[in-house]
Amino acid sequence: MKKVLLMGQSNVGKSVLFNRLAGARVTESNYPGTTVDFAKGRVRLNGEDVEIIDVPGTFSLEPKDRAEEVAVRMLEEEKEALVVCIIDSSKIERGLYLALEIIEKGCPMVVALNMWDVAKNSNVKIDAKKLEQILGVPVVPTVATRGEGLKELVLRMKKAAPGEIEKIMEQVGGKSGTHG
Amino acid sequence: MEKKLSQMKYEEKGRIKEIDQSLRTKVAGMGIREGKQVEMMTKQPIKGPVVVSIDRTNTSLGLGLADKIIVEVEG
Repeated sequence: MKKVLLMGQSNVGKSVLFNRLAGARVTESNYPGTTVDFAKGRVRLNGEDVEIIDVPGTFSLEPKDRAEEVAVRMLEEEKEALVVCIIDSSKIERGLYLALEIIEKGCPMVVALNMWDVAKNSNVKIDAKKLEQILGVPVVPTVATRGEGLKELVLRMKKAAPGEIEKIMEQVGGKSGTHG
Repeated sequence: MEKKLSQMKYEEKGRIKEIDQSLRTKVAGMGIREGKQVEMMTKQPIKGPVVVSIDRTNTSLGLGLADKIIVEVEG
């Protein structure tokens, strides 16, 4: 069965989005050998049964604690999985850091610009179309707590594609492989 | 004036000038990188963490980390 990993930093609304998508069919699991909990659910998305996994929040793919280690390992083990990278739109910069790291791993991905309402209220303006063009993966504004944008997010999962770091760097005029 | 992030005073603002190589990737995911504007929010006593505001986000940093970040302080 196809797997969908919900990844993002902490407090960006991963679990809210998860609960919205998975509804009641949720099982709470423990990653073997650790005490980090995560939830799994089965849903039908775009006419296909998939397993969605609420991955523990991680700031980056360089793990600093157990929960982050689990997150990174899950991403590495599920090579075929589709990743939904959830970003807090009001704190987009640090969210994009993780998004780019996931793109570097070469996973097919969609980006959910969550908390779109919060960003709007604090005068953060984001050109989602332009971002989509730069990243080369679908970018969808969402408000998970109210269910806004989720339909589109699911529809756009069909278009999920691995982004290409080289192309992204070309567009933003930077050099690849330099950190910080 | 340059000082360590850990030496900044309450409500002091500045721009990050240098981050020790060893923790660059460690803090990048938290939105901390060179050139970023920071404001000191709180300092916890007894060698506790410092809380700084970056991009309207309050981020808490251990004193060990804050010691290795150099900030150009305003004024």
